[in-house]
Amino acid sequence: MRPRFFVRVGVIVTTIAGVSLGGLWAAERIARASIAGPGVANLAAQAQPIFRRADVRPSIKNPSANAREFFFTRAIYNGGRRWGSWATDFPKADRQFLTILDRLVDMDAYELENAVQLDDPNIRRFPFLYALEVGNMYMTESEVKGLREYLLAGGFLMIDDFWGQWEWDNFEAEIKRVLPEYPIIEVPLDHPIFNTVYNIEEIVQVPNIGNAQRGGPTWERDGRVPYVRGVFDENGRLMVIINWNTDIGDAWEWAENPYYPLRYSTYAIEITVNIIVYAMSH
Amino acid sequence: MFESLFEFFFKYRPIAFDEGAIAFRPTLATYLAALAVVAVGVVTYRTYREVRANSRPVDRLVLTGIRLTILALLVLCLFRPVLVLSQVVAQQNFLGVVIDDSRSMEIADRDGETRADFVTQQFGGEESPLLTALADRFALRLFGFSSSTDRIESVDELVFDGTQTHLGQALARAHQELDGVPLSGLVVISDGADNAEEPLADALLPLEAAGVPVFTVGLGREEYSRDIQLSRVDTPRSVLKGAALVVDVVVTQNGYRGETVSLQVEDEGRIVADQDVTLPDDGEPTTVRVRFTAADAGPRLFSFRVTPRPDEMVTQNNERNVLILVEDTREKILYFEGEPRWELKFVGRAVADDQNLQLAMLQRTAENKFMRIGVEDAEDLVGGFPRTREELFQYRAIILGSIEANFFTPDQLRMIADFVSERGGSLLMLGGQRAYAEGGYAGTPVADVLPVVLGEPTGEDDAGFFLETDVRPTRAGATHPATQIADTEEASGARWLELPPITLVNEIRDVKPGATTLLTSGDESLIVLAFQRYGAGKALAFPVQDSWIWQMHADIPVDDQTHETLWRRLLRWLVDGVPDQVVADLPKDRVELDESLALRAEVDDANYEEINNSQVSAWITDPDEELIEVPMDWTADRDGEYVASFAPRKEGLYEVRMEATSDGDLLGSDTAYIRVAPSDSEYYDSTLRTPLLERVAEETGGRFYTTDTVDSLVDDIQTVGGGVTVIEERDLWDMPIFLLLFLLLMLGEWGYRRSRGLA
Repeated sequence: MRPRFFVRVGVIVTTIAGVSLGGLWAAERIARASIAGPGVANLAAQAQPIFRRADVRPSIKNPSANAREFFFTRAIYNGGRRWGSWATDFPKADRQFLTILDRLVDMDAYELENAVQLDDPNIRRFPFLYALEVGNMYMTESEVKGLREYLLAGGFLMIDDFWGQWEWDNFEAEIKRVLPEYPIIEVPLDHPIFNTVYNIEEIVQVPNIGNAQRGGPTWERDGRVPYVRGVFDENGRLMVIINWNTDIGDAWEWAENPYYPLRYSTYAIEITVNIIVYAMSH
Repeated sequence: MFESLFEFFFKYRPIAFDEGAIAFRPTLATYLAALAVVAVGVVTYRTYREVRANSRPVDRLVLTGIRLTILALLVLCLFRPVLVLSQVVAQQNFLGVVIDDSRSMEIADRDGETRADFVTQQFGGEESPLLTALADRFALRLFGFSSSTDRIESVDELVFDGTQTHLGQALARAHQELDGVPLSGLVVISDGADNAEEPLADALLPLEAAGVPVFTVGLGREEYSRDIQLSRVDTPRSVLKGAALVVDVVVTQNGYRGETVSLQVEDEGRIVADQDVTLPDDGEPTTVRVRFTAADAGPRLFSFRVTPRPDEMVTQNNERNVLILVEDTREKILYFEGEPRWELKFVGRAVADDQNLQLAMLQRTAENKFMRIGVEDAEDLVGGFPRTREELFQYRAIILGSIEANFFTPDQLRMIADFVSERGGSLLMLGGQRAYAEGGYAGTPVADVLPVVLGEPTGEDDAGFFLETDVRPTRAGATHPATQIADTEEASGARWLELPPITLVNEIRDVKPGATTLLTSGDESLIVLAFQRYGAGKALAFPVQDSWIWQMHADIPVDDQTHETLWRRLLRWLVDGVPDQVVADLPKDRVELDESLALRAEVDDANYEEINNSQVSAWITDPDEELIEVPMDWTADRDGEYVASFAPRKEGLYEVRMEATSDGDLLGSDTAYIRVAPSDSEYYDSTLRTPLLERVAEETGGRFYTTDTVDSLVDDIQTVGGGVTVIEERDLWDMPIFLLLFLLLMLGEWGYRRSRGLA
């Protein structure tokens, strides 16, 4: 083979790699900018002393953050893969779930996503928090402090979409930094959280969209068995619910897809509704 | 002073002129003499008319007038005026002497001597002046009185340890004993510190009718020079265990103005409060608000005390004891939310550790879908919000969250209103998009119950009301037990102002007449917490939709207890005083041995309608654990009211459990406690009460005396008293006043002449 061939291959490979990395970097920047937008806007509106609602009641087209009861709040944390694990499925999954929630439960929920950093003091205004892909979470000290105070004051955290022993070990180490004195315990199926609105009799492993559509294995990495675990306070109330080896968020995101199996989206929506209603009442 | 001056000029004391009648006793000589005087008068008149000299007409007028007045006085004396008096015949009449034998007589406020010392000095022995003087003219009958009245032979029998002073009863008893004998009157020797419950007029009327005058001798001082007194302590009769009590103590003092003393509260030996009190002006009462917690359950004796000063005249009135029943029950509250809301979660968490509150929460998650939290029984609230009165009325309070009025049937709305007005329960409405006018409550029975005026409801497409605001307590809210969020009043007031803002979506600006506002928005334009009594119960409006911000806000430390304290106090106040089906009522927390104790029960059926045909018994456990059953009867005056009476025979604590059954079914029972102990009421307001003793004397035709004026008592009784009397005439012509007038008039005439240069 001629050396020119290798030079050409090298140039092509370098170009492709460069473009890909550049694209990923840009995508991350764009995602962050668009994500930060609504969250910041909401908080600013919350802080205003007087606000008159628009002439029409809020809807997905006319969202209003004022005087709303429930915000589907996503935790922004440090760590993860380069583009930020916290933003996986964001914001489509959030919006789609909120649309379904509005149909199922008589609740005054804000129509849009709401992402807040763990060390933002305003996080305390949103007592429900969703975090995913925590297998690669590496919280800063201020995030650990913020989350600890949030949970001890009465906040509730739902964890989703992390797989296998390695990711578990990482998350366990991280949550131990937050709540070192509280153990992680298996949540039994007779716990009220499985009955608040829907009766859930089995913990379903919800696969990612690719696996679900292909009909392939439901697991990823070595996470073959799904678990629902929790961190309880002194009075036996759940503070953190951990959905391990399952990807509930993907089921919300693709629930409208005719090729997405109903079994997974049904379970994902039912357990999340149960979790939210539990969080708002216990 | 006045009396002696009067006696000097008029020869007799005023009482003689009050009681007697003036008459004239002329003789033939009188008429002749009078005629002579008139003749002299005529001559005088003519002489003055004719003698002109250098006098003016006015001089003649004055001089004629003086001369004629002198002559008129002379005629008056010649007609021999007399005072006609009826006088008690010596040794023919009885006199009752009624002497106070109560503890307050031992108070040494007569220049170091006790009030009882006066009795001993004046009545103690054969030579005692008052006893001798009275015994010379009357047949004496002595009585000693405190809570009861007894005949005594001599004052040596008095011990001055009676725990009460029943003056009316003593007068009635003495009158009764001396009925049928010639009675000149009654003499009462007392400090007048009457503390009987029956009105004194009941005893005075028969005396007045029978013409028996009562002569009262007041002992002691009308005001102590150095004394501190706890005049009143206002406490509830029963509280829930762990309740934070705010008790008003009224302190009165003399001689220690501006000094700071410590007011302590003891719960059976354990000091639970210690508060500094700056003493007010002499005689002025001041109200001190003391806070403490009723930590231990059962009937507890709380002592309120100011440590006595070394030079205080009466130290026994520095302490008051109050029996409070601290109940360790679980009070059921129903909290209904129309949608999942954070408020429910955080209210539930705030009171979760309170063992005396059971918060049953019902949350609608979707149409006709409910979630129950904290229910006691598997069947409780299984069908949603209660549909029968019996089911609803088992709760003591209802909290309505964001739930529209349309959810309820008209009967359920009526039931909620009746829950307050008839059952005597409490209603609390929270703020929310589906509460108040926004929830369509205007015009419903529930709106009548609420303490606030509902605004205009917002239409479907209206921009709703929304305000983020700070909260501040009103003057009433600063001291109200429901809004105390810190240990002291000052700390609580300051804490309210530090709390982060909450949001309001119900525009409520006015309370109804008679309602009390406890919290307002920062600019005081909106109502944040108000309450009113409605029928038998009470209703509160708390139109805040997110008080949970006071728990979750970043400015609130994680271990801060403000939100928990607020909700515990608010809910405890909500259930405070809410009655059961059977309510045991004892009018007092202490009676004396053998004093009759009135028992009263109010009995309702499960729908809280009064029931008159139930079987009610009081089961009384005495201090020796002996059980006594006392049947109670319907009064026929009031529906559902049953009474009985009981005389305790032992000192100590009695438990009284009143139990009602109807057709063999237990309607309910309630327990109250009473202490049987000597009363210490003698030491409170124990100064000499002159007005009372004056009133007794005045209404019966007698006289009031102090220890300084008592010398004239004997003579007065002789003049005023009833019984066997004789008519006596006393000359008045030789009254010094006549002589004085003659001299003055003649001196006047001479002076006038001199000044005018007349002969």
